[in-house]
Parts: sequence; C-alpha cells; structure tokens
Amino acid sequence: MATDTESGYAEGFGQVSRTVGTVFRYLLLAATMFGIVTLAVLLVYVANDAIQPLTADAGWHLTFFLTLVVPTTLVGGYLYRRNTDALKLGSTVVGMLAVAVLFSGGVAIVFVDIIPPLTGFSYAVGLVIPAALTVILTKYERQISFTPRVAATGAAFFLSLFGVPGYLHSIPELVQKAPVVPSDWVILALVLGGVAALVVGQYIARIREDATAGLIAGVAALVVTGLAALLGPLLGYDSNSFVVVTAVAVVPTATYAGGAALTRKRERIGLLLAGTVIVGSLVGAAAVDLLGFAGPQSWVNWQFLTNPHSSSAERAGLYPAIGGSILLMVTVAALSFPTGVGAAVYLEEYAPDNRFTRFIDVNISNLAGVPSVVYGLLGLGVFVTYLGQATGTVIIGGATLALLILPIVIISSREAIRAVPQDMRQASYGMGATRWQTVKNVVLPEAFPGILTGTILALGRAIGETAPLIMIGAPNVLFSLPTELTSKVSAMPLQVYAWSTLFASEDFYTKAVPAGVVVLLVVLLAMNSIAIVLRNKFESES
Amino acid sequence: MSTDDLETDLTRNTENTPRELLTRSFFFLCAALSVVTTISIVGLLVVEASKFFTITAPLMDVKGETASLVDFLTGTTWQINNQEFGVLALVSSTLMVTIGSAVIALPLGVATAIYLSEYASAQARSVLKPALEILAGVPTVVYGFFALIYITPALGVVFPGIGTFNMLSASIVVGIMIIPMVASISEDAMSAVPDELRQAGYGMGATKFDVSTGIVVPAALSGIFSSFILALSRAIGETMAVTVAAGAQAKFLNPINPASYLEGALPMTAAMVQLLNSDITGGGLAYRSLFAIGLVLFVITLIMNVISDYVARRYREVY
Repeated sequence: MATDTESGYAEGFGQVSRTVGTVFRYLLLAATMFGIVTLAVLLVYVANDAIQPLTADAGWHLTFFLTLVVPTTLVGGYLYRRNTDALKLGSTVVGMLAVAVLFSGGVAIVFVDIIPPLTGFSYAVGLVIPAALTVILTKYERQISFTPRVAATGAAFFLSLFGVPGYLHSIPELVQKAPVVPSDWVILALVLGGVAALVVGQYIARIREDATAGLIAGVAALVVTGLAALLGPLLGYDSNSFVVVTAVAVVPTATYAGGAALTRKRERIGLLLAGTVIVGSLVGAAAVDLLGFAGPQSWVNWQFLTNPHSSSAERAGLYPAIGGSILLMVTVAALSFPTGVGAAVYLEEYAPDNRFTRFIDVNISNLAGVPSVVYGLLGLGVFVTYLGQATGTVIIGGATLALLILPIVIISSREAIRAVPQDMRQASYGMGATRWQTVKNVVLPEAFPGILTGTILALGRAIGETAPLIMIGAPNVLFSLPTELTSKVSAMPLQVYAWSTLFASEDFYTKAVPAGVVVLLVVLLAMNSIAIVLRNKFESES
Repeated sequence: MSTDDLETDLTRNTENTPRELLTRSFFFLCAALSVVTTISIVGLLVVEASKFFTITAPLMDVKGETASLVDFLTGTTWQINNQEFGVLALVSSTLMVTIGSAVIALPLGVATAIYLSEYASAQARSVLKPALEILAGVPTVVYGFFALIYITPALGVVFPGIGTFNMLSASIVVGIMIIPMVASISEDAMSAVPDELRQAGYGMGATKFDVSTGIVVPAALSGIFSSFILALSRAIGETMAVTVAAGAQAKFLNPINPASYLEGALPMTAAMVQLLNSDITGGGLAYRSLFAIGLVLFVITLIMNVISDYVARRYREVY
C-alpha cells in the first residue's frame, strides 16, 4: 500500500494514519459482523428452545461425541491439511444427502398423502402417452408442418388427460377404473424409481461415455428402489416412505458419490468423510439405543412434524402447514417460472427499443418494491371479491405469491440471459437459426443455471411470506392436509404467526413456536444453500 | 450496432412463420402481465378506496356509510368500532419504525459496504456476502417472533418501563432485516468507482482511510442515497415483524420523542392484518378502510421508489 513506505520520514507520518486506519478498519468489520452475530445469537436461542440439547443424558452426548464428532473432525482435519478439493467433495456429498433427505420428505408428503399413489400413477400414464406421441411426431418434423403438429400434440394431451365427457374416458379415469391395480408401493417404486433410474442412467452414460453402463446403472437404481420396499417392513418402517427416501435421496447421492469415485481419482479420498459421517451417525444411534441413554426432549420431533394443530402446545404439530407450504411452492413455481422467464426472454431478446418496452422496464422495478401486503390486497380484491373465488385456497394463495415474486424472477432471469455472450447468438443466427431456435437452443440452455438460482431464491422468499396469505383469508388453523387446488391452505410461516399471536401463551412461546421456526428456517436454509452452491459452481465455470 | 441490422436481415424471412408468431406472442403476453398487475393494483386500490370516502363515494354509486377524507388524512385516532379513521395514528407509528430502523441500518449498511468493497479479501467476501443474504432471507414473521420473545426481555433489563409490545424491538429487527439491502446496493455503487480514482488518491499520499472516506464514498454517493431510500421503503412496507412485535393498539405517538419508542402502537401494515383478522364483512366500511390504508402505503412506497430511481440516474457520476 501507498502508506507502507520504507523511508523514515514517511514512517512517523504514516504511523498516525495507520492507527486511524486500523481503528476504522476494525470498526467496519464490527459493523459488518453486527447483523450476522445478532442473528446467530438469536438462532442459537431459538434452536436451544426448540431442541433443548441440555435435556439429553450426558452419556448420549458422549456417545455421539465419540462416534460422530471425533472421527469427523479427525478425517476433516486430515483432508483440510492434505487435500482441500477432496474435503470439498466429501462435504458436498454430505450436504447433498442431507438436502436430498429433506426433499424426499416433501416428495413423500406430496406423493403419498396429498395425491394418492394410484391417482398420481394414472396421471403419470396419462402424461407419458401423449408425451411419447409428441416425441414421435418431432421425428417427422420435416414432413409435417408446424401448425398441424402443434394442433395434434395439443389434442393428444387434451384427449389423454380429459377425454370427451360422455363419449370417451380419459386415460387417468381408465387407469383408476382398471380391475387390477398394483399396491401403493409398487406404483411408487415404478414411478419414482423410474424417474430416478432415468436420471441415474443419463448421468452415468454421460460420465462414462458408454450407453450400456448407463443402462446397467438405471436398471440397478430401479432394482435398489424395489429392494428398499421389501427391506422397509423388515426394519419396522412403512414401505412407501422407504421407497420414496431411497428413490429421491439415497440413489441419486450414491450415484454422485460413485461417479466421483470413478472419475475424480485425486479427490475421491474425500468420500471417506461422507462415509465417516454416515457410519458415525448410524453407530451412534445404535449405541445410544443399546445403552439406553435418553436423547434431548426436542420439540422438533416426529410427532410435531406429523400432527395437526392442537390447542395444547405439547400436542400441536405442523403437518398441514408443511403440506400447504409444499403445495403453495409447487403452484407458485408452476405459475411464476414460465411467465417470469418468458417476460425476461421477451425483454432481452425480442423487445424493440420503444416507449412501451421502457415502460415495462420501469414498471417491473417498481413492482419489485411494492409491499407484500399490497399484493395480498390484490389477491383479496381481484381473486376473492371480483372473481368470486373462495377465500384462502391453494390456487389463490399460489397465484398471489406468484405475482409477488414475478418481478424478482424476471429481474434475475434477465441478468442471466444478458450474461450469455452475444457471439453465441450471432453464431446461431449465422447457421440460419430463427429467433425462437436461437432462444431455445442457445440462450435458454446457457442462461439456465442463473435462471434456476434466481428462481430458487425467489421461491424461498415466497414460502417465507405470511402477509399475503393472511390477506387472502387463509385459515389460521387447519386440521387436515390440503389435497386439491381449491382446498383451504395453511403454510409454515402462517402457522408460526398464528401460534405467536392468537395462541399467545408461555407454553406456545417456548415449545411450538420455536419448533416451527426451526423447521421453517431449516427448509429455507436448505433452499438458499442450494441456490448459493449452484451460483458458485456456475460462476467458477464461466 | 451494425450486427443488429445483420440480425434483422438474417431473421426477416422466418419472423412471421406460425411458430415464431406463437412463441413471440407468448413471450409478449408474459411481459405484458406485469403491466396488467400494476393496472390491477392501482385500479383496485383507487376504486375501493374511493368507495370509502364521503367525497368520492357518490361517483362510485355507493350507498351506506362513508368516512370523511379530511378526517382520514388529519385525524389522529384510529378506532374502527367508533368509526374513527384517523390514518395519522398509523402513519406516525410506521414513521417511528422507519426512523428506528434507519438509525440502525443506514450506518451499519454503509460501513458493511465500505468494508466489503474496499477492505475485505476475496475469501472474506465469499463468506460474508452469503451470510448477509441469509440475514435478508429469514422470514419476517420469524424476526417478529425474535423481537417479541428475545429482544424485548433483553431490552427490559435496560429500560424497565418497556411494554411487551414496543416500537424499539420492532425497529431493531426491521433495521437488521434491511442492512443487506443498503449494503448490497451501496457496495455495487462503490465497486463501480473506477480504480484510477483510488490510484490517484494513493499517488497524492492518501491513506486507505482517506481514499475510502474521501474518494470512494463521495463518488458513490448517489448509489448510497438510492439504497437508503429503497431500504426505507422496504421498512415502511414491512408487515409481519411489526404485526407480531409492535402491538395491536393504535395510538398517535410523537416519532421525535425517544421515550415513545418504549410504547406499542399500530403501524399501517399491522393495522391491515388486524383488520383482516377481526371479522369484517365484505363491502363494509372496515373492509374499504383496508384499501384506503393500502392506497396510502402504495403511494408512499411508489414515490420513494421513483425518487430512488431518479437520484440514482440523475446524480450518478459517469466515468
């Protein structure tokens, strides 16, 4: 730096400035840390209230310290000193497993409790048949012109999903009426295991550059999912949830770890860390069970996660609110992702530079600053009062929240699209591509990671919102899961709000609310960390 | 650019095929949706609010009870049961939360921005920036709960007379919540200051402290100021934290008097939530007062956003 001169003359002069500079520097650091430290302290308090780690036996802590903390620290420390890339790989696998298990919980709620497996299966069949037809039609792209092709595809989807009332049954109806239907776990294993097998097969085929290896891996994934269904009851668990966890969490994580072990020879020692954590937790749990040490009396327990609200804080649970948040998130994503990306594509790729475009531009940035409670009023006034919908349903809540995050999705998607180099577009045009072909084949694939990151962050914002849901009349207390788009919905933040204001009592303040806050924060933290990891990966690649 | 012409030349022939037309109109409709949203918000708020006031209700052909516009804008009592709709009682407490959070967030936010843009190493930045994002990502209802359960009792040690619901704890959490907003926008403005200016400063014998406070901050002033306004507009519109922590009793407090921060009151957004939770019949006076408050809130935040945009554009130093 300019002040660090060697000469004695400047030394005395610089000494004074250096003190001021140092003080200033540490003041700035303190200011930066203020918010973060405050939040950290508050989080420690709320976690302590919710999980109560001090109520556990000393033996419980000791067991887990010996089986989990000590080995993990040793392996982690070794990797940190020897091979940081391997440490990164190991922690990625651990984080991926944790997030995937969380995600599989959500999938289990949706595909077991909200949508009965048979209904889900019937719609899956109803979608697969016209999708296959579309793929076949695309092969004849040159023979059939665009308009009849789109018409045929649209008709196929419509006929398959809705049929012709009175004349022709839709495919979901036919499947549901079939005389012999497989049991729930078979359906789940077929549908979820099938999707997992497809993803795993593609991944392995890509990294091994060998289609046969992909096929083998895919079949193996399906078989493992099926085996999990048989193994579940033996261990005393429900086979449905075992299938979901295996297909959504275990198989993909194992594939990623296996793929890394095969391709990244220098870093694969990092998998040792993941192994230590998994084995350590399992051994610790078994040892605690065997030795009879009692764990902490956490309010975040199985009962809290699977029970509905109750007027007594001990028995109150979050289940309908969790299901509601998941349904809302799916609805919001389905509504805001296509429209947000579409608007961003229009503004970046199509829009002429005229007044209307500039107006849309200013308008979007102003919409981003409108308070969420005003969006709630919009939902109440337009959807409920003018369009006469019932208050507090999934679809109204989803639509309101989708409008709320739309400006954020548009702004972040535009940034991602703008980051695509102009040369790539020109190369595409140079090959004779049309505008839509350029958008579809060049711009969107290039911008996809950025768009995805922005959308995940916006969805995190949406599921943390409470005010719009209150305004559209979502019930404060809900005892059953919403199962349709028109059923009443609750959400995790709404339940936390209801407990901390309408049921305000010492009991709720110290038991149910902290537990609800912890669950909500874990979900949001998981979403934010996915987004941040994706962004870091994307930024380091480009 | 000449390449634009090239693009049009190359794409002209295919621009109007059915596929291009279909996709282009889909994208256009998506973009137009944002305009429709704005029009619906403005239209809805104006129509419903004008049904509320005596002076405009005949225009909307509304019979029944109405409230005086003058009383609404100048009254200081908000009691729905007594049909008293003085919005100043709500505006004053919103102003208090705004001032309180500004005292916390503006200096801390700017200091954070200076640290991140001038002092922090790349490694420190890669840790601090996501941490700050988490600060903004925590749901506001959770902040409200923190204020009510942890911060208020802690403040009670210092100020024994503090109420269970008080403006101070609400202001503190809203302030923490908007620090990242001030910090990230100000930091963008500071990073945009060209390095030549810093080098010139060092060349004149300035220290890093001098360069940061004497060159970078003045050069980025328009960005910093616009971040202030945006963050304050966010604080005004903030709902759940103040609903949970600030109180439920509407009261006109003097925002300049520090002692009044120990009392609870009802900011505009909290009043809206409260109105919705009390059973109001659709179309009644209380229902319409909701939209009247909403209109005031919308107009205030819109004006602030426009000012922020104007400041950022008009006073930006161009290098």
